[in-house]
Amino acid sequence: MAQRVVKPKTNLGPGFWPVTAFIAVLSAVMVYLVETSPLPIGLIQAGAPADSIDALFRFLGAVAAVIFNIVVIYTIYFGIVFARPKGAPPNTIGVQIHDAPVLEFWWTAIPTILVVILSIYSVKIWADLQNSQGDVLTVEAIGYQFGFQFRYPKVKGLVNEMHLPLNTPTTIHVTSRDVIHGFWIPELRMKADMVPGLINTIRVTPTVPGTYHIICSEFCGVAHSAMDQKMVIESQQAFAKWFARQAGGSGSSGGGGTAIAIDKGHADAGQKLFGQKCSACHSVGPFDQKQVGPGLGKIFNDPAHPKLVNGDAPTPQNVAKIIQSGFQGDMGVMPSAQVNQLSNPDIANLVAYLASLSKK
Amino acid sequence: MATVAPGVPTGPYHAVLDHIHPEPTSFIRKYVFSIDAKVIGIQYMITGGIFFVIAGLLAEIIRTQLLSPHGAILSAATYNSVYSMHGSAMVWFVVIPLLTGAFGNFVMPMQIGARDVAFPWLNLVAFWIFPVAGVILFSSFLVGAPDAGWTEYPPISLQGPPGTNLWCIAVFLIGISSTMTGINFLVTIYKMRAPGMTFTRMPLFVWAQFATTPLLFIATTALGAALAALFIERVFGVPFYDPKRGGSPVLWQHMFWFYSHPAVYIMIIPGFGIISEVLPTFARKPIFGYKMIAFSSVAISLLSFSVWAHHMFTSGMVPWLQLPFMIITMVIAIPTGVKIFSWMATLWGGSINWKTPLLYATGFLITFTYGGLTGFFLAAVPLDYHEHGTYFVVAHFHYVLYGGSIMSLFAGIYYWWPKMTGRMYNEKLGQLQFWLTFIGFNATFTPMHWLGLLGMPRRVATYDPQFQFWNQFASISSYVMALGTVLFFYILFDSIRNGKKSGPNPWGARTLEWMVSSPPPYYNFKKIPAVLAAPYDFGNPLPYLGLEAAPGATEATPTSASHPVPTY
Repeated sequence: MAQRVVKPKTNLGPGFWPVTAFIAVLSAVMVYLVETSPLPIGLIQAGAPADSIDALFRFLGAVAAVIFNIVVIYTIYFGIVFARPKGAPPNTIGVQIHDAPVLEFWWTAIPTILVVILSIYSVKIWADLQNSQGDVLTVEAIGYQFGFQFRYPKVKGLVNEMHLPLNTPTTIHVTSRDVIHGFWIPELRMKADMVPGLINTIRVTPTVPGTYHIICSEFCGVAHSAMDQKMVIESQQAFAKWFARQAGGSGSSGGGGTAIAIDKGHADAGQKLFGQKCSACHSVGPFDQKQVGPGLGKIFNDPAHPKLVNGDAPTPQNVAKIIQSGFQGDMGVMPSAQVNQLSNPDIANLVAYLASLSKK
Repeated sequence: MATVAPGVPTGPYHAVLDHIHPEPTSFIRKYVFSIDAKVIGIQYMITGGIFFVIAGLLAEIIRTQLLSPHGAILSAATYNSVYSMHGSAMVWFVVIPLLTGAFGNFVMPMQIGARDVAFPWLNLVAFWIFPVAGVILFSSFLVGAPDAGWTEYPPISLQGPPGTNLWCIAVFLIGISSTMTGINFLVTIYKMRAPGMTFTRMPLFVWAQFATTPLLFIATTALGAALAALFIERVFGVPFYDPKRGGSPVLWQHMFWFYSHPAVYIMIIPGFGIISEVLPTFARKPIFGYKMIAFSSVAISLLSFSVWAHHMFTSGMVPWLQLPFMIITMVIAIPTGVKIFSWMATLWGGSINWKTPLLYATGFLITFTYGGLTGFFLAAVPLDYHEHGTYFVVAHFHYVLYGGSIMSLFAGIYYWWPKMTGRMYNEKLGQLQFWLTFIGFNATFTPMHWLGLLGMPRRVATYDPQFQFWNQFASISSYVMALGTVLFFYILFDSIRNGKKSGPNPWGARTLEWMVSSPPPYYNFKKIPAVLAAPYDFGNPLPYLGLEAAPGATEATPTSASHPVPTY
């Protein structure tokens, strides 16, 4: 009864060789497309090592495309030609074959060879990255909740924006002040985790001027999504000018001598700003309603906290000072106004809003 | 006593094997605190199913939030908790318990011809830890759910809300449960196979469970230690991980991934086993390359202990150390590739009966291959520098975890549903459900590959507006998946209410669980059968002796005169 062995109609099944030829042609086309297209499409290469990393990406992409073609097309093809015809008795059985040692040898050997080739290629690119000369300029990048700061040689203090000169092999040492952050510049295809207590190093050589993003790629807290800062790659002359400004100036922001017209602030505008810039870390409840920083709803008249976190009296000027220069507390770091991209009128609006809260 | 057949030992212990404990009569002992592996398996399935619904709803909340680049519905803080709980629940409370606890308990003892697992009481305890731990996990929403992702890297997890402590406790408990299950299954498979069932005659699902057991009880200990340290640091302030006080945040990562990479294989090797059962049954031919599939599971299991640091290429370690981890990770592609080719070859020359379980098995083949290939991109260290921590990773692990593990779970539930309930499901709806899930899944997760490559980091509540189109595309596709899941539960309820009686062996399968009635009787086998061969020789007589032929079996019985017992 159950002995009816279905012999395949030809040696390997109807249409096996045409399908195989189709897979070969499709694979060749895909390999060609993958190798000649600027993958990943839509993201420029702003310098080394983006080029060599993308070359490895394309190579792997080509291999993966071939394997995927083979698996998907054969699976679908087998599924169609060997489907049980309608009306066949339910106990019809397939070809009773258990293995085919030669075939199995090759489908173990070929992937093994591929793995060897891909590992050697990856190791080679990796070695290039490790050995690249990157010490013409050394920059230190420090992550904090929620932003990046940078230390340049001969510049006192920290600067809030990263500028890199063109065609200059640059070493970037990254670390963190509080929790783990990621330091990722997609256009350079480079990333390192900023781990407190550890220094990780990446080496890049920028080649295309422009403004790019440094993106935090490790979850770091409530405002992680907003931890995305501009960085500039510019000509060596422009860089030298910027660098001279940093070396001559105070470096870190917050010194700011410009007075803020506190009394000109609008609480409504401040409320809107608060929602965009502050509410990720601060509630409008009492001090103890903490998120990352304290609640600010009673900042001007809280009997339980008669002083600001830095010990100053809660006057509008002092509050504005904290917003302007940022603050490092037990709970985390509040970025400066420059990092938060707050202008002096913005600060005045924020203070007006906070004052309106405290009156309630 | 005369020799039954070569390789089949006989002896006085047969009398012991024939002894059957009486079935408990009280409801509580029968259905609540049962020690019957089949009941425990179904308990796992129901509990895991409930958690799957909750964690799935969290996933839909995530996708809904990402409809807008500014975050459509939640504050960043709430969103962080939602995705952290989604990941934690799916990994520890859905996929692992369903693949090991549910299918391992329901199917594995029957497949080896045993009446139960080796330690039924341990099994009972292992199960009851699971819902308790689940309740603890989800109750963290009441006090502020953990918000640093399912990986909970310190130091940020040290700042996390109080629910993080509950998270530690819940995951620690589920780890204990896993460890118990692992030991239980190892001893069961090692000691309780029916006479004549040598290792090379075991069904491949049993091989898969066997290969998973060392992962369950060796790797989980590392996680337990790491969690205990995190808990102690959070509650009592002993600095294990806080670098400001001399701790090491990278230590957590090593401990965590020493568990969690093997855990990836806990979540896929039993799935491989399910696929290896479904394919021969519906192609009506022996599994191709039985030994290669069996041994490659063991090879993957062993290799998986030495690849954990490929999750940490950007975290900071001695640079040369990246190379061995990269190469061993790539080597895992070889046994995995052998499996995939063997499954394809199983379809070749078959008499393929296209039913829902097989649709899921081939869907698995395609999506898992895709996920495996993107894994190669992440294994290559230089590429990982770009891809680590982005949506590319999110896409990759959903392709292996949903496209791999969950698809195999769907295949397994449709396949063994008649065995569990004695009823068939609605085949047409089942196939529709497959297509909704398959298309919805691919449309949801494929765009994430290029979102990640183009610069979208993972775990973000808001994102750059340039990514809005593909995020909305993914979100809307995820609703199609959700529709598929709703339909899935409808199919199950419909089957219980209106399903046709299935009979013991509706698929014409040949492994031992199909030789007993559906649902199986208490203690499975009246007499423990003797096993003469591996189970996949369609067309040959069944390789079992001493079996009381199940009524309605489609295969010939072993005593049929025209088919002499094969000699091995």
